[in-house]
Amino acid sequence: MAIARKKSKTTRKSIEVVLVKKRKKISTALSLGSIVVFILFGFFFGYFLSKARATDYDAIRDMFLAKEFQLYGVIGMAILVVAAGLFLTHRFKKPTLSGKALDWETLKFEPNRLIGALLFGAGWALAGSCPGTVITQLGEGKIFAVFTILGIFTGVWAFQKWQPKDSNNSTC
Amino acid sequence: MFLNKMNYYFHQASLNLFVNSWSWWAAGLGIGLTALTLAWFMGKRLGVTGGFAEACSLVTGSASSSHWRIWFLVGLPLGGLVATIGQWNWTLTYGGLDALTYGVSWIKALWLFFSGIMIGFGARWAGGCTSGNSIMGVALGSKMSILATIAFMAAGVIVMNILFKVVL
Repeated sequence: MAIARKKSKTTRKSIEVVLVKKRKKISTALSLGSIVVFILFGFFFGYFLSKARATDYDAIRDMFLAKEFQLYGVIGMAILVVAAGLFLTHRFKKPTLSGKALDWETLKFEPNRLIGALLFGAGWALAGSCPGTVITQLGEGKIFAVFTILGIFTGVWAFQKWQPKDSNNSTC
Repeated sequence: MFLNKMNYYFHQASLNLFVNSWSWWAAGLGIGLTALTLAWFMGKRLGVTGGFAEACSLVTGSASSSHWRIWFLVGLPLGGLVATIGQWNWTLTYGGLDALTYGVSWIKALWLFFSGIMIGFGARWAGGCTSGNSIMGVALGSKMSILATIAFMAAGVIVMNILFKVVL
């Protein structure tokens, strides 16, 4: 009797696993068209990052040494454009062309996250690149960007091991 | 005469498209419009570190929603390639970092690897990197993102000043 109950439990478990796997497959499927569109968005983002000189170590250095306005202007301009565009979408309550409402949750304030932010800022200055620009550098032929990318993967992996339930998936 | 002028303009345009960098407002406008159209047309929120995390979870096999950010990452180097294709070549140099690492390759590689760990770990902890927090978060008026951006900049200014005014 006990054995039979055990068996049924395990079969139920395996059925659940199969169901979860099936659900995963459905949710991860992206159509070929949307894959191409996302690659195109990445293409333009990388193109403009490169044009902004955000992929140039010396430009990052001169930003942090306050010798050059360039990258402060780039970040400021980008924030302004996005903020104005999203404000207009909300103001006139227009549905976006994707049909989804833009009601993203923003991150809750947690003082701990500022330690991570300081760590990121220090790494940004040491490597002279952030996660977006370092991948773009690969396309520009800067071979040493590979080491930064390996480091970022290690750091991201370590954080997932340390805080597997961190709820920042909505932002980045 | 007319052909000469046309030739000149064509040359200038191709220089600006495939070699030269742009002024801050033009490049910033491009980055902003890319993020904005991504939100408008696809309903997605820009974030590069999330792409790293998705790629990581693909390897380790844990669950994640759709992997659109990975495809976004695939596009990035193509953009960098086209932006510089007029003078493109493989290079082992890394600007001002070469002087800091005495031109020794393995020091530079280790330096970049360990800074990369700080970038990846810190960005996940802060809840986003320059794209997710400083551009999207600040544009959405998130208090956390604004404070995180101030912390990014403060740490960057301090470390860079130590590197180039004290160490070098």
